[in-house]
Amino acid sequence: MVLSDVVSPNKGKAFMLCNEAIARGAIEADVKVVAFYPGAPTSEILDTFSEALGSFDYQMQIATNEKVALEICAGASFAGFRSLTAMKSVGMNVASDTLFVLGYTGVRGGMVIVMADDPHAHSSQSEQDGRFFAPNSYIPMLEPATAQEAKDMVKEAFSISERHRVPVIVRTVTRVNHQSGVVELEEIRRSGFSRARWRDLKEEYLTLGEVARRKKLRMLERRASLEGEFEKSAFNHVLGGDAGAGTGIVTSSVAYLHVLEALKNLGISGKVPVLKLGTTYPVPRRLVAGFLKGLGGAVVVEELSPYLENEVAIIAKDENPGLRIFGKRSGHFSEAWELNPDLVAKGLASALGVPYEDKSGIVEEARALKEGMPERYPTFCPGCPHRGTFAALSQALRALSASGKGYYFANDIGCYSMWVFPPISNADSSLCMGASVGIANGLSNVVEERVVAVVGDSTFYHAALPAILNAIHNRNRFTLLVLDNSVTAMTGQQPNLSTEFTAGWREGKRVPIEDICRAAGAEFVEVIDAYQVKENVPVIRRALEHDGLAIVVSRRECALYGDRRKRRRGEKITPFYVDKSACRRPYACIRDVYCPAHEIDGDGQPRISPELCDGCSVCSRVCAFGSIRRAETEGERR
Amino acid sequence: MSFDIFICGVGGQGLVLLTNALGRACLKSGLKAVTGEMYGLSQRSGTVSVHMRIGEDAHSPLIPIGGADALVALEAIEALRYIEYLKKGGLALINSRIMHPPVETAGLVKDRTKKYFTLEEAVSRVKRWTSRVAVINALATAKESGNPNAENTVFLGCLSALRELPLDPEKVKEAIAEVVPRGTVDQNLKAFEIGMRMASEALCGFGVCRNLR
Repeated sequence: MVLSDVVSPNKGKAFMLCNEAIARGAIEADVKVVAFYPGAPTSEILDTFSEALGSFDYQMQIATNEKVALEICAGASFAGFRSLTAMKSVGMNVASDTLFVLGYTGVRGGMVIVMADDPHAHSSQSEQDGRFFAPNSYIPMLEPATAQEAKDMVKEAFSISERHRVPVIVRTVTRVNHQSGVVELEEIRRSGFSRARWRDLKEEYLTLGEVARRKKLRMLERRASLEGEFEKSAFNHVLGGDAGAGTGIVTSSVAYLHVLEALKNLGISGKVPVLKLGTTYPVPRRLVAGFLKGLGGAVVVEELSPYLENEVAIIAKDENPGLRIFGKRSGHFSEAWELNPDLVAKGLASALGVPYEDKSGIVEEARALKEGMPERYPTFCPGCPHRGTFAALSQALRALSASGKGYYFANDIGCYSMWVFPPISNADSSLCMGASVGIANGLSNVVEERVVAVVGDSTFYHAALPAILNAIHNRNRFTLLVLDNSVTAMTGQQPNLSTEFTAGWREGKRVPIEDICRAAGAEFVEVIDAYQVKENVPVIRRALEHDGLAIVVSRRECALYGDRRKRRRGEKITPFYVDKSACRRPYACIRDVYCPAHEIDGDGQPRISPELCDGCSVCSRVCAFGSIRRAETEGERR
Repeated sequence: MSFDIFICGVGGQGLVLLTNALGRACLKSGLKAVTGEMYGLSQRSGTVSVHMRIGEDAHSPLIPIGGADALVALEAIEALRYIEYLKKGGLALINSRIMHPPVETAGLVKDRTKKYFTLEEAVSRVKRWTSRVAVINALATAKESGNPNAENTVFLGCLSALRELPLDPEKVKEAIAEVVPRGTVDQNLKAFEIGMRMASEALCGFGVCRNLR
């Protein structure tokens, strides 16, 4: 990110990531309060606000979880301030308890919720379609396709929110969030910040029983008025084609861009009418009905579930009962995985009856060329403390298995999730934030094996804590490893409660994990240094044998975060090397560590790439022959 | 028309910065640009890919299969991983660097008869897709320029050697100066210059390069 693009007060143009454009849009819209819990593909929104915090007067919190972030924004909005949060749609699962109630209570200051789906589960545990939150909570939703549109929609969403006194969801997908493009910047004219007086604004933000029943009616009225407004929204438009032509296309979000690409490649640009919807809840039914009128068929192109397709089918039932609908349910597009220009071209060609040059030959030819090529699975960075923790844990677990006891390993969400990938592939379960501990509470009472759960620091605070307290109270017996690397590493090393910093790298109060556990009554709480592999094995073994809940906090800061701090302090990273005269080739450095910096040399001996080595020392600690040493001469350093 | 570049490599090699510099150069040249960026699950050492599309006609953030005019691979195995995106006969700019993934090294330890997938193997397979291949030792060049992290700017130089790239190399250089860390501008510009020269030498037989002074 180039910060000057985001903070420049002037009109102009910039090449920006969509997530940066979203932040810029909110800053232009004079947002006053932002709060986040990071989650791919939205994390750069948080990062951008964090970087730009020094330039503006908005308030920012990196929250414990998405629900708290949403509530921070709601609180600010009740007091009349514009607020914005962003989360991945599985984060919305956590926040949704509050979201549904905000549909009833409404808000005062414009409140925008950016919610990102991840078709293809690129960096998520599921391909959840978050759009259904909108109709379910009666909260309006906009869907941008480009970085420019995302910025425009965020700005307009604040106005819609204030006009209708309701939060607005701006729903994105990975291919929108992680899309860069040229974006128009408008002038930034910020008003100053001063506290509001609640007594001037006071109104009820509550709902229960009788109140809820009354507010439900208001919610339905609001939906009708939003729909009326969306009928005229500039975010919906019809492109090309003859009105009343045979078949038209209804689409939204990034699928719209794939449609334009596909029509071009099929040689029928401008010949097929396309309805691009930007307001997808409530769907402007009159607009859609007008588009469908006279058409023989409609192709609905959208990511994930047939959400718009269902809407089109419902509208067509009254307006054009003979309409043929092509989409997910007809099998023209798959409901699994994400779309791309080729899949869209293929589906469109089939629905429209135009020739399509199939690419499967090219793909097949490429596949043949890739025969025997190594996979590159996601893995821990060189220097990652998890590598040391898992080396010790593996040894301790092997000993447990050797004693005939066996174990169940519950993984969780964070960088350590990557322990499920080859060459390690060790996990019995991995569900969602904090679930490993919840699962352990259940499993530990019904299986013979020792149950081992693992969470990271950020996950500990986010969702694991209630399950840990449950284990203490119910005297459940299992082992919990908390991998405390000081930051929320997987999403880009954002500070969290385990960091001495907070948003904008301003000072924050650290909330030590072991203090919480001990204060709550946990009897076995040990803190280890992730890099001290040998010393950690006996501690973890004791934890595995402990007759009760045993908590081991493995601490060492994330290597990337640590490297940045080292650079700032002017420290150099000193790589390790293999002293080939001492190496007896037991390959423990490779088998127990699996570091990207390690390779086998032509002579069959291990070699450490000085460009990749982070100098963490873990491999030297597993070598029984002391043949891995720290580079000593200046020339060997980098 | 659009000029489409598929850029791939390994997490940590600076693909995002490379993309940013190209995008800014497009902006400076008044050209439309759109990207689709895939960072993967891991912060480092995983596969990373960027679809970089330049021109009014580029709508989707993703390049269709067989649609890329150029493939830039900052790691040689990755060139093969995404080869289907390159047009048959398109331009392939490949780093001679191989970063063996831990799973491959683990396989070698388990079975001592196994061998690493080599640079020669990767390049010869790419050459069955296109003859227009330049293999560039970007790491050595980056080190020569004084900054081993400048592999990405070496490839910005390589790309700028192509006559088909609708960007003035001077604009790319301006963009580089704006996006690289302060204090590394000279090293990066040096890496750019050498990269440009190396690509034009490697590709001189194909008539695809600008005339360098």
